[in-house]
Amino acid sequence: MESTSRTLEVTVISGENLRTDRKPVKKNAFVTIQTDSNKVCTTKMDADGGSYPSWNEKLVVDVPMHARFVTVEVQCKTSTGNKTVGVARIPISDFVGGHVPQSYLHFLSYRLRDYKGERNGIINISVKAKVPEYASCSSGTGMGMGVPLADNNFGGVVTGIPVWCTGAYAGKF
Amino acid sequence: MGNCCSDEAGGRTAVGGTAASMGNPTNFPNDAVGHFLKSRGHAPFSEIELSYSASDLRDRDVLSKSDPMVIVYTKGRDGVLEELGRTEVVLNSLNPKWITKHTITYQFHIVQTLVFRVYDVDTQFHNVDVKMLKLEEQQFLGEGSGVLSQIVTKSDRSLILDLVHREESTGSNRARNLGKLTVHAEECISSKTTTEMIFRCSDLESRDLFSRSGPFLVISKVVESGIQIPVCKTEVIKGDLKPTWKPVFLNIQQVGSKDNPLVIECFNFNSSGKHDLIGEVRKSLADLEKLHSSGQGENLFLPTPVGHNYQNKVLKSQLFVDKFSLSTKHSFLDYLAGGCELNFMVAIDFTASNGNPRLPDSLHYIDHSGRLNAYQRAIVEVGEVLQFYDSDKRFPAWGFGARPIDGPVSHCFNLNGSSHHSEVEGIQGIMMAYTSALLNVSLAGPTLFGPVISNAALIASHSLANSGRKYFVLLIITDGVVTDLQETKDALVKASDLPLSILIVGVGGADFKEMEILDADKGERLESSTGRVASRDIVQFVPFRDVQSGEISVVQALLAELPLQFLTYMRTRDIQPIS
Repeated sequence: MESTSRTLEVTVISGENLRTDRKPVKKNAFVTIQTDSNKVCTTKMDADGGSYPSWNEKLVVDVPMHARFVTVEVQCKTSTGNKTVGVARIPISDFVGGHVPQSYLHFLSYRLRDYKGERNGIINISVKAKVPEYASCSSGTGMGMGVPLADNNFGGVVTGIPVWCTGAYAGKF
Repeated sequence: MGNCCSDEAGGRTAVGGTAASMGNPTNFPNDAVGHFLKSRGHAPFSEIELSYSASDLRDRDVLSKSDPMVIVYTKGRDGVLEELGRTEVVLNSLNPKWITKHTITYQFHIVQTLVFRVYDVDTQFHNVDVKMLKLEEQQFLGEGSGVLSQIVTKSDRSLILDLVHREESTGSNRARNLGKLTVHAEECISSKTTTEMIFRCSDLESRDLFSRSGPFLVISKVVESGIQIPVCKTEVIKGDLKPTWKPVFLNIQQVGSKDNPLVIECFNFNSSGKHDLIGEVRKSLADLEKLHSSGQGENLFLPTPVGHNYQNKVLKSQLFVDKFSLSTKHSFLDYLAGGCELNFMVAIDFTASNGNPRLPDSLHYIDHSGRLNAYQRAIVEVGEVLQFYDSDKRFPAWGFGARPIDGPVSHCFNLNGSSHHSEVEGIQGIMMAYTSALLNVSLAGPTLFGPVISNAALIASHSLANSGRKYFVLLIITDGVVTDLQETKDALVKASDLPLSILIVGVGGADFKEMEILDADKGERLESSTGRVASRDIVQFVPFRDVQSGEISVVQALLAELPLQFLTYMRTRDIQPIS
């Protein structure tokens, strides 16, 4: 299992300015986290946070090594069932790889998109990758990095891709 | 609002008060767009207690040892000394340890120079109040001076100064040892004590008869003139006549003391900004603690005009304190004493819009009479403050927007001319590298920030593998409108997860509208092209005008938020001052 997936500790912190059909979410917001696998992690419901809910809940998420995105979905419970407020598709590269230590605690925020692809509020999370024992030992010996060369190549810009709800979501609407 | 905010983003979107704005998203009050991380901290505000001891003082008396006293001065930028206080006289000692302590407010954004003078008080004055002593009648033993930030950054918070003759003294050329003065600095505990309170109200009444309340609280301190200064506010809770707000945090230093009166006002939120006062309570922190212990509520009252006066109408509504706890958080100064550093970096705009450096009207003109240009002044004024927080004082220094000899335009070149390292020695090293670079590159364009921000972020990333006790401050000095605004935003959003803050100084007379966008104080949270949002505000922009009107300097505006940004980063990652 260790060689085929990595374990993430994702703390779902809060949401900002959440709306459904342009009206502020009144209550009962919750968050699900999903990867390529069928497993879904879900937070508790924030019964009274309204459009600025606060969960501060840690979820342990297993992510396949080949996965390139983690999908975070904010939903709210209504009298007619669960309703999707917004979705954020988070690149794994935002918190894995790069130049920071593997076990670095990342604080990340993302714009949510509703089912039409329109901007809809912000989700705030923190992510920490669990490092296997042997890896943390070897990373310890890697200390002593020098100051890097001045680098004019700051990398290309990734084109933003709006999230279109297809497949599994289509049936909900 | 003020220096303190509730745990949740304050000033929620308009609810309850009026329904007019419910369907109008563009009408949100600015308060509604708050950073959740920002609300976790409050601006550092520290009082420091200085204490003194000395060793190996000169023996001035024939029949007995010296009777020393210390006088402490603060030195202004103009060099004028202002007396802060005097110690008591220690009798018959060459190694005194004074009991008297002096309190001074630590101001991060200022170089606070302290001057200490030690006198031997003559025997005939031993029963005289030290305030009445005339210094010309005493024997001068020696003088020492130091900067407050030098003291607070030492692990033992002590600075040992060699006592010397005054500059104007006739004995200034002699290399005689006059002894040593040790100055110890301790942060007052009240500066670090925070109260956490949860307020609840019952049976609120709203004068807006046709809508339910959207109540929130504002806590203000009352200053001597009777003016109320808001220090804290809660979020708005929609449609609740018995609201329980999320915790609010108050630093005792902000309110003066636990016994100082506070005004707690309950308002009905109105998107017009004119909130309806539901009622208020006047209590000190000590009173609120008693309310919490007893579990009792306090009735709100409403000032009602009666003729030319006001009469307090007691309401049925009540305020309860569901939680009251005191805690001592690690302060900015704790982190400094624990070995954390602020590492200064600088990036200078070399685009052609600055004008030919050889011409007097150029922003880069080097005046050989010694007068500094705007770039030089910005480097010196920011660097002279930040240098004290960096132990090795080796600063990465870059330029952008220029064409080096035999090369294409570079948007991040080392100011020292090296191709493999960017560091220079001290502030003077930056200044020399800057003037040298002006002679060796051609101003070009366009103006890009992305590369230098990404380079600074790379250095910050790598530092995390070593100890995680470095926090980086990048100063960008520019004259113009940035060309790569979206790429800059992308770089800033990525950098917001790293131990890095960015200060942008605008020189010259250009329109800096886009800079205001990058400074999240005045705009929305930055969003990258992929939809990632900055997790905290790391940018501060200030235009550097030649005429500094008012008392608040450019540097103060630029540096004021830095300790808070530092603390926000450290506390959210649970990094402790002592490793």
